[in-house]
Amino acid sequence: MAWLDKLARACAVLAGVLLALITLLTCASVVGRNLLDTAMAGDFELTSAATGIAVALCLPWCQLRHGNITVDFFTDRASSRTVAKLNRLACFLVATAMAVLTWRTTMGCVSAWNSHSGSMLLGFPDWAVYAGMVPPMLLTGAIAMWQAVQGPATRTDGLPL
Amino acid sequence: MTPLLLVFLIFSVMLALMVLRTPIAVAMFLAGASGYCIQAGWSPLTSFLNNQAFARFANYDLSVIPLFLLMGHLATQGGISRALFGFASSVMSRFQGGLAMAAVLASAAFGSICGSSVATAATITSVALPEMRQHGYSGRLATGTLAAGGTLGILIPPSVPLVIYAILAEQNIAKLFAAALVPGILAMLGYLVAIAAYVRLYPGHAPQAADAAHAPAQARWITGIVPIAIVFLVVFGGIYGGFFTPTEGAAVGVAATFVVTLFKRELTAPKLAHCVYATAQGSGMIFLLFLGADLMNAALALTQVPAQLAALITGWQLPPLVVVTGILLFYIVLGSVMDELSMLLLTIPLFFPIVNTLDFGIPHDMAAIWFGIMVLMTIGFGMLAPPVGLNVYIVNSMAKDIPIAESYRGVMPFLVSDAIRMLLLLLFPGITLWLVRFVR
Repeated sequence: MAWLDKLARACAVLAGVLLALITLLTCASVVGRNLLDTAMAGDFELTSAATGIAVALCLPWCQLRHGNITVDFFTDRASSRTVAKLNRLACFLVATAMAVLTWRTTMGCVSAWNSHSGSMLLGFPDWAVYAGMVPPMLLTGAIAMWQAVQGPATRTDGLPL
Repeated sequence: MTPLLLVFLIFSVMLALMVLRTPIAVAMFLAGASGYCIQAGWSPLTSFLNNQAFARFANYDLSVIPLFLLMGHLATQGGISRALFGFASSVMSRFQGGLAMAAVLASAAFGSICGSSVATAATITSVALPEMRQHGYSGRLATGTLAAGGTLGILIPPSVPLVIYAILAEQNIAKLFAAALVPGILAMLGYLVAIAAYVRLYPGHAPQAADAAHAPAQARWITGIVPIAIVFLVVFGGIYGGFFTPTEGAAVGVAATFVVTLFKRELTAPKLAHCVYATAQGSGMIFLLFLGADLMNAALALTQVPAQLAALITGWQLPPLVVVTGILLFYIVLGSVMDELSMLLLTIPLFFPIVNTLDFGIPHDMAAIWFGIMVLMTIGFGMLAPPVGLNVYIVNSMAKDIPIAESYRGVMPFLVSDAIRMLLLLLFPGITLWLVRFVR
């Protein structure tokens, strides 16, 4: 489905934007602290929060590209039909795990909202980070489910890094 | 159900899922969740899961990983490798096997801004392999050298596996990076010696030493090594000198590498997009592995078996070096079916407590750092050794005309070099640790 692909791409690009923002913020903080003698308060907290959302935004693209490593060793000799069937089963299991994770992270978001928890210095609300992680997790599960139904595309490179 | 039986069941479920091609992260996640649920019940499992993703993803120490990945991809796409190899080959071409040696030097230099061995192998292969073949290097020596050179990508800091070890063992990343530097340089020198010995013992795999066919070295060094040297010095000078944290170092490294690639005028919009997508794929893969391994390790910890295992092994009163050697040998075996990051995530929580109780005659934190470097080198070894050897696969897949068996033969001299170096560093921890004292 083309729109799943588009959404996954958009998430990855958004993750890249967040990483670029982290880079800029951190460079400003490092320069300020070491050269200009002005410490920036809370840069660590913003970095953590942005990384949390950025990493979750990486998941849909990774699933779309079958970037999660599998052990090929035992099915090297199996026929391509068997491998394709197993891959579909695997995608179904990924979808199950992502569904559980999405559901529990949503509950985590609710409890963070209720407890008003936040970061130490800036008080950046934790629920906002949770809320940023839930949609890409849901999308990852949807992609995996779609791959389980459609049969995943032929495995691209599958390299770990 | 006895705890031991339960552990056996958890591992069986995980392995069965892996055999059936479930991604390793999800196999660990599902097996761990089942094991946790059986012992503690459904409701503790769900509350464990509520903030698990938040705790792992929104974590300052772990934010170094996507940043180092992005830095490595920028370096890969930014045309840095071509200039590096050009410079190295103009320096080394006077020696027999010079181009192979140049490939090792270029890999080492590239490894100083890239934290992945596969990326290093693939990047240097794309520029060095055609030239080596053109000059009459055998497929065996060429692919063997490039696969071995790739492992320098994780030995020389930055190193993604080393960051993961640091997180799991709760050790100082800056000190681990410092400790990896000397072994990384030793590895590079050992590979150069291996090439020199190989071309003399088995003539015909490399051409005779070239005469002054290459451009003078002086003209190339400015574009070849100066940019990469500046990035490395800024990033690691800053981290080692205590001017910034590893995460800040990685962010500065991303910015510096980006500036360098802008000057090289090679980074187009499609290449930049490729960097972003590749970083997303790598980060997603690593962080999902973290989630799976967390759940797996939580389930195992509940059984108390890891703690009992540690007590049992400590109770045997074996010499510490024997225990460490045993663990490293286990890694070599396990590495033939599992990838290195999953292996670290699954086993360090089990093995590190054991190693931490042993007395090596050095402070515990120093022993932890030394053990981390030994594990890292074992991983590098596993990336070369048959029957899997991921680096060999990567390099060989880029050389369509060379049979994989030839490539496996080609890595043999480098495996010998690896084995000698590992033995040396196992027996003399001081070689690894002397630089650590200078880290602030």
